[in-house]
Amino acid sequence: MTGSADFVPTGRSLRAERWRLRVRGAREFAGQFASRRDGLIGLAILSAFTLMALSPDLFVGAKETVVSATGTRLEPPSAAHILGADELGRDILNLTVHGARISMSIGLMATAITIVVGTSIGVAAGFLGSWTDSGLMRVTDFFLVLPTFVLAIVLAPVILDIIGPEAEFLGLRATLLVIVVVIGITSWATTARIIRSQTLSIRERMFVDRARVIGSGSGHIMRRHIFPNVVNLIVAQAVITFAAAVFIETSLAFIGLGDPFAPSWGQLLESAQSAGAPGLGAWWYIAPPATCVVLVVLSFTLVGNALDDILNPKAQVRR
Amino acid sequence: MSGRYIVQKIAQAIVTIIAIVLLNFLLFRMMPGSPERILLRNPYLTQEKVEQVRADWGLDKPLFPDQFVGYVKATAAGDLGYSLQFRGQSVVDVIESHFWPTMLLLIPAEVIAIIVGLTAGSYAGWRRGSGGDKVASGTSLILYSMPYFVIGMPLIIIFAAGLGWFPTSGMTTPGLSSASFLTQLFDFLRHLVLPLAAISLGLIGGYSIIMRSAIIETRSEDYVTTARAKGLKDRRVLRQHAFPNAMLPMVTIIAIQLGYVVAGAITAEVVFNWPGLGTLTVDALETRDYPVLQGVFLLLSVTVVVANLGADLIYGRLDPRVRS
Repeated sequence: MTGSADFVPTGRSLRAERWRLRVRGAREFAGQFASRRDGLIGLAILSAFTLMALSPDLFVGAKETVVSATGTRLEPPSAAHILGADELGRDILNLTVHGARISMSIGLMATAITIVVGTSIGVAAGFLGSWTDSGLMRVTDFFLVLPTFVLAIVLAPVILDIIGPEAEFLGLRATLLVIVVVIGITSWATTARIIRSQTLSIRERMFVDRARVIGSGSGHIMRRHIFPNVVNLIVAQAVITFAAAVFIETSLAFIGLGDPFAPSWGQLLESAQSAGAPGLGAWWYIAPPATCVVLVVLSFTLVGNALDDILNPKAQVRR
Repeated sequence: MSGRYIVQKIAQAIVTIIAIVLLNFLLFRMMPGSPERILLRNPYLTQEKVEQVRADWGLDKPLFPDQFVGYVKATAAGDLGYSLQFRGQSVVDVIESHFWPTMLLLIPAEVIAIIVGLTAGSYAGWRRGSGGDKVASGTSLILYSMPYFVIGMPLIIIFAAGLGWFPTSGMTTPGLSSASFLTQLFDFLRHLVLPLAAISLGLIGGYSIIMRSAIIETRSEDYVTTARAKGLKDRRVLRQHAFPNAMLPMVTIIAIQLGYVVAGAITAEVVFNWPGLGTLTVDALETRDYPVLQGVFLLLSVTVVVANLGADLIYGRLDPRVRS
């Protein structure tokens, strides 16, 4: 943290000094993270999945469709299809690898909404105080109490009806878009709470008073002085939110809110359930997407916990 | 516990419930078109008929205050409207008939999860860093990363489809209604085992992780050091000094968790085709049975608010520091 106590006159320019502190901070952080075995394991798994999401064609070729399917109905694993085939004869390995991009981009976008909304509300409530704070916190508490998953189930068809099933945004079809928005709407409250409490303590620091004395407005202080000091927390929170987003997406897709034409892992599990795969003992249809979901959620949780321990000032006091 | 604390908490809960009712009312009126469009999916209706239905249902009156007041009055009187999916049945009846199957599943699941989760968590926390802790924490973290249905699917594959020990889905075997009570009970229990295991395992993950950190926190407290210094046996220090104090935060967490468990178990019910509230919700979603969706949402969110209130009140009772 670039507190004033760290500043020793060195004859360098302010810019150089700031840069030096930043590099030192990054190096310190890398050192701390490297000593966390759980975080490193998580990071390794995540890198593999990110690669898979970025270029699925590299590993398994183009995504198979009903037309290009090469297997037979619920074909067990063989040399030609290492993980067997689904009810339409599509290769499961192929579908699972392609599912990475869908599951993870939904997770990423939902996380982005969650973090932007949560941070804005948290910083505004914490910094502006008085009635803004109490008003925003009442709303936050309300969203914190609501059962997220049920709210998502209720919201999804309503939003789908409002924007229409034909809508498209950034190449995402309406159904997936709705999942992103619904996860965002229902999960920003935790972030807002955490960011607010951190903002409350930063607001009392000397540099905020100094900024005010030289005439900075509230908006400027929030952006240039408060925000940079909560970025650490935001990073840790974003990673944990990502795990939750993938988890919720999987469940929502499983109960039929996914997009059959862009199958995420949850959607694959839904198809498996509809095709009766569990009762038929077709483990090859279920194990690959299920394993991927668990690995991604688990590794994001591991990395998130490690980051939280290192970056969250409260956690540092705890230790 | 001071009266003011109780009154304040109850008032907060009431305000939240009013907000939920308002949200529930607005949500289903935000949809384009009008309610009668969904209800009267019939292109041959004459304009007069539509007008008459609108008047009958009070849809020709303004949203505020007429429609909202009507909605609140009806809701308060226990009238949640009629299901579209089950023609002619009221939402309350539909929800009630799916309520008990869910309870039959969730109550034992909670009991098992609390016992196993707290035991595993306190053992892991007490022997932090040991081999046992690593196994217990690792397992808990993996279970915690799995949606209930992802736990349920392998259970079906292994124990139902593979070994054939248990049925793959449902709550009863059809055609057994004339069999003896014991046969029916045994049949029900056989159906219960796998979904019960799936939900318990999912809950155990969360409980054990939280209990572990609660124990780790109490482990460094002075009274634990004192108990050790007195020469008490390790097991007794854990059971009589650390565990009861770690339970203090756990009681509230469990109380809050109880409110969310029905919502969490939705996917488990679907995978086992268990005829409870979760399956009802998903069926209502598929058939766009909005009155039922609204009713389930109302029931589950009010449950959560009440569970939270209960947690606040219990905590105020257990921990004197909260009252001031």
